[in-house]
Amino acid sequence: MFDRIPAQTLRILILLAVFAAVVLFFSAVIEGYLNARLFNRISTSVAIVAMIAVGQAFVVLTRNIDLSVGSVVGCVAYFVGGLLAAWPGMPPVLVVALAVLIGAGFGAVNGLFVARFGLPSIIVTLATLAIFRSVLVESSDGSSITTDRLPAWVPGFAQANAAEIGGLQLRWMVVVALAVVILAHVFLTRFRAGRQFFAIGSNPDAAKFAGIDGARTVFWAFVLSGALAGLAGFMFLSRFGNITVVAGLGFELKSVGAVVVGGVNIFGGSGNVIGVLIGAALIDLIDTSLVRWELVSEFWREAVLGLLILAAVVADTLLSRRLMARRRRMAARQGTVGAEKRA
Amino acid sequence: MTEPVLEMRGVSKSFGATEALRDVSLRLFPGEIHALVGENGAGKSTLIKAMTGIHQPSAGAILIDGCEVQFRDTGAAQRAGVAAIYQEPMVFPDLSVAENIFISHRDRPRLIDWKAMNDEAEAIIARLGVAIDPRRQAGELTLAEQQSVEIARAISLKVRVLIMDEPSASLSDHEVQRLFGIARALRDEGVAVLYISHRLEEIFALSDRVSVMRDGRHISTRPTAETTQAGLIAEMVGRDMAGRFARMPGQARDEVTLRVTGLSREGAFRDVSFAVRAGEIVCLSGLVGARRTDVALALFGIAPADAGRIELAGQAVAIASPKDAMRLGIAYVSEDRRRMGLALGESIAANITLPALDRYTRAFGWIDRLRELADAADFRRKLNIKAASLTAPAGTLSGGNQQKVMLAKWLNMGPKVLIVDEPTRGIDIGAKAEVHALLRALAGQGVAILVISSDLPEVLSLADRVLVMREGRLAGEFPGETATDEAVMRVAVGAV
Repeated sequence: MFDRIPAQTLRILILLAVFAAVVLFFSAVIEGYLNARLFNRISTSVAIVAMIAVGQAFVVLTRNIDLSVGSVVGCVAYFVGGLLAAWPGMPPVLVVALAVLIGAGFGAVNGLFVARFGLPSIIVTLATLAIFRSVLVESSDGSSITTDRLPAWVPGFAQANAAEIGGLQLRWMVVVALAVVILAHVFLTRFRAGRQFFAIGSNPDAAKFAGIDGARTVFWAFVLSGALAGLAGFMFLSRFGNITVVAGLGFELKSVGAVVVGGVNIFGGSGNVIGVLIGAALIDLIDTSLVRWELVSEFWREAVLGLLILAAVVADTLLSRRLMARRRRMAARQGTVGAEKRA
Repeated sequence: MTEPVLEMRGVSKSFGATEALRDVSLRLFPGEIHALVGENGAGKSTLIKAMTGIHQPSAGAILIDGCEVQFRDTGAAQRAGVAAIYQEPMVFPDLSVAENIFISHRDRPRLIDWKAMNDEAEAIIARLGVAIDPRRQAGELTLAEQQSVEIARAISLKVRVLIMDEPSASLSDHEVQRLFGIARALRDEGVAVLYISHRLEEIFALSDRVSVMRDGRHISTRPTAETTQAGLIAEMVGRDMAGRFARMPGQARDEVTLRVTGLSREGAFRDVSFAVRAGEIVCLSGLVGARRTDVALALFGIAPADAGRIELAGQAVAIASPKDAMRLGIAYVSEDRRRMGLALGESIAANITLPALDRYTRAFGWIDRLRELADAADFRRKLNIKAASLTAPAGTLSGGNQQKVMLAKWLNMGPKVLIVDEPTRGIDIGAKAEVHALLRALAGQGVAILVISSDLPEVLSLADRVLVMREGRLAGEFPGETATDEAVMRVAVGAV
């Protein structure tokens, strides 16, 4: 039966099952766990991580990694916050566009070094992770953005609901994140340009021989990752209001975690952003729930995230190896049957 | 015939100082299967790469339908109707068969209609007379199926010139026949097929015309019906005698140092048996893909054999890793200096002492640098390595001197059996003579030497005995004095 389901779909079904199991587990060990507040809290926080993770997914699909996203989120949140404090009258559309553009600019720096100069992305983005953060620290002079300096619509956006059903609030930022996921999904699965990200990651040599411009595709993956991190930066500003120099710290770990847990092959070439969304939700769910579980010290949260990434990679590798071997065996059997028939 | 669809006019290509193509002119006509033959390194691959936009010619012109074109990349060549398939299929393992076929199409709508794409893919695959589900992932397919997908991709691009580079090398007989059927069908539809193969019987079974290349030059083009295997082989190897090295008398002793019986490794080579005596230089000849290096890798324990017997000085031995081989006194000088041979960033001295590091190690793993340098200096003198300083990185040396460092590194181990793979590839003629003299001197000291070389003049001047491999088997053996280019080549290509 499992042989008829595409590997990607199987992965998403497994992820959903794990997600349900985690919810059941925590509702058993934590009193009053399942309620509307949990949903509201997790959905808004996932909205930010998922957006960054979608950008990360584009990069990972091409056999690269973007470790600078956390610093980009922090920089954009801080710079946009600073601009808004100076010119509170800026129209919201311009503010969001600026956030995306600044993020895309950071991404273009990464893309330039990786795609144009052929440097390994893990080194380039490790360097820019530090550099972008230092730019933020230097230009902020240690001062913070505070909510009271921002125009009221900024924190208002994070609180605004698109719909509300019996205490379950669907925030606008969640709607935006879902829209990003759906757009990215459609782009990656239905558009020729989207499939090129898979092609590059699947076999760079074959891509070259097939006339695909690998450098350009990789460049745009980084720009997209930066742009989405920029959009996430604006959301971060809106949600928290108070921005210090440590804003966005650790998003690289969370986004890579969401991507890997969500079933994107860390060696590129295969994956699905719906899986990434579920991966992001799963990570955030566990993260948030552990805070409320007295049995586990809060300091273990990072370790749990790390374990989750390891478990996902191990499970994924074993699963796909099995599946591949099994299908190859079946194909071989069919092949011999066919040969006998011909003979 | 009509106008040529593709013409190479006086094309040359050099990489640094090496001239891979020299003034090559070749015309491909619609509706012909044009075979291209030549020894290893004759320039066939470079010619294909120039045709498909991977390399740009240094001089000369490429013409499509009589108009000069410049292919910036493979995409440009494909748009002009020139596509190639290779021995190792270039597929995207994570993408579906249909996607693999249509990935490089630019005229398709930006939005993918999966159903239409699968249907179209199915129709194209059906034309090839094979059955592959277009929804399957290409990574799950067999090699022959992946090749079919590549051909389907070429057909879907409305290919006018299809280059097949050693397409049959990894196929079974049945699959080869199917491939031939596809090639003929394409020809009948007016496609020009350029077919590159080492297997002469295939050339005669399939092609309408055949061109010979040698040393980067185009030698001849004539109808296949007007040629013979012997004639082709003569043109492939024909060289003037000026470039030859003189032969030296053999120094083989009576005792057999290495004896191999029925050595096999699944999927690589089968039933290989030979012996090398102390002081003897045995050359293993054959074409690319004859699996000569695999035999060496088995003897050195990198990819151990799964059947057969290896004896050293009459004792049966088991070699499961390079460590075993080195302990038994077998040294292997790889053909790939950069990847498997030298640590290019490390000093020359450190490279030379690496396999024998135990000798230089004192208590607690402390390395005796002075002794290391003294020994390295000794080798520099003996092998005439031209290096300003032994502490300079090995990567700063010229190719010939890197090769000498490689040899020094393994000689330092004091081997009983020395296997050298393509010892003089890409090094100049002076260094080549020095390497040959060095190998002879080693043989004089009683080392059993196995040389793998694609360079026939080298084989003929160096070998006490020549073994010829073809498609994973030993296909012939000649005494060094009486071997000729043509005799060796005839066995290597399997001519009858």
